[in-house]
Amino acid sequence: MNKKSITERRRENYLFYILIFISLIISNIGIIFFEDSRIMPNYFIGLILAFLITNTTDLNLYKLMAFGLLIDLFVGQLLGQHSLIFIILYLLYFLINKILIIKTEIQLSSLSIFLILISFIIIWLTSQSHDIFRSPNLLLLQGILTFFTYLIFKTVINIFK
Amino acid sequence: MVQRKNTSNNLKLFNRNTFPLFTFFLAFTTCLILMGFDYRHQVSKKIRSEFSIITSSINYLINKPIEILHGIEIKFKEINSLTEENKILKKKIYNLSIQIQENELLNSENEQLRKILEIQKNYKIIGENAEIILPNVRNGYSLITINKGIKNNIKNGAPVINNKGLIGQIINTSNNYSEVKPITSKTFAVPAILNNGKENVILYGNGNGELEIPLFPASSPIDINNIFVTSGIDDIYPKGINIGRVTEIKLTKSPKFNYILIKPFFQPTTFSQITVLKINKNE
Repeated sequence: MNKKSITERRRENYLFYILIFISLIISNIGIIFFEDSRIMPNYFIGLILAFLITNTTDLNLYKLMAFGLLIDLFVGQLLGQHSLIFIILYLLYFLINKILIIKTEIQLSSLSIFLILISFIIIWLTSQSHDIFRSPNLLLLQGILTFFTYLIFKTVINIFK
Repeated sequence: MVQRKNTSNNLKLFNRNTFPLFTFFLAFTTCLILMGFDYRHQVSKKIRSEFSIITSSINYLINKPIEILHGIEIKFKEINSLTEENKILKKKIYNLSIQIQENELLNSENEQLRKILEIQKNYKIIGENAEIILPNVRNGYSLITINKGIKNNIKNGAPVINNKGLIGQIINTSNNYSEVKPITSKTFAVPAILNNGKENVILYGNGNGELEIPLFPASSPIDINNIFVTSGIDDIYPKGINIGRVTEIKLTKSPKFNYILIKPFFQPTTFSQITVLKINKNE
């Protein structure tokens, strides 16, 4: 098993914080050429998923909970919504790794699509039960864009780690 | 056999690590409680408003490049184009000054008629001009942000209009910025009346950029392109502000009612002017 040096860990943590900050900024700006701003991707789900799947930084439940709350405070609609999504993603990723070998790029992409869908179902369910309107059709489009965001974040992580 | 470097991290079959199940359930329950509590007491909005320095810095960061771009554009504008623009603006001022004279006459006539008819309810609209800035979206939710806040005496609940008509209502204020809920939002309702003074109704936002009346009496006369204005009965929105135009009249399951769809006049484009109203009610 590869053990990471302290400098490597520090660099990965910096990368994580920088990407969180960039996501915070870009989640406040609509995408050019997309008329409907509601279909913009959920950058935070893409980012956390990229870090989980690449196994880059030491993410644990406490960290995920804290980041979720931070995101909800800045750009969320409901306090605890993103925290809930992140901890469920963490649990599912752990369980899947217990029973399956995720080896190839296609398998990783399928896993990420599955996890993105799960997180969007959670968003939709919590939005419905708390009267925050979310159209399921738009959520599907948003899910596709989030997958591309995940791919971009993953590439960035692989370049800089 | 050549082993790929990047696949080694993912070989975790029969992973013997134990999952912190207790911590997970604790975190899960905390999230649910937080969500319920926030929904009831709007805690996140209050915190966001209290710590507006942090959100203000994000707003500043995303608006700065565009401000710089505008500044450069103005600096490099030619004298000819500026003179042309000046001419057009002078013409507009001239036309508007004539309209003001006409309005003054109409206002005095209106006041006299109100006195004769003993109508006491009167609205004097005072507004604070502002500009729509970024963010226009927050993590997938549409948003209208304006560059005036508590410092400019803007308060939660104030109606927002522009030259086209009603835009929405202030829902969140910080020192330098405020957020506006658009009239097309799913949780928005505004009392309205047809511009011929008939049919008092309530219009609801449908969340898709339009307004609707789910149950409009089929016996009441209404046509496509009829205009709805605010009725003013709620004491929030002053009477007579344009809201939108009827675009669709559909039959419902009940023959007694029709479904009406209204397209609003406003288009809240970024960097356009709006007015936040302060209403003085002289009752």
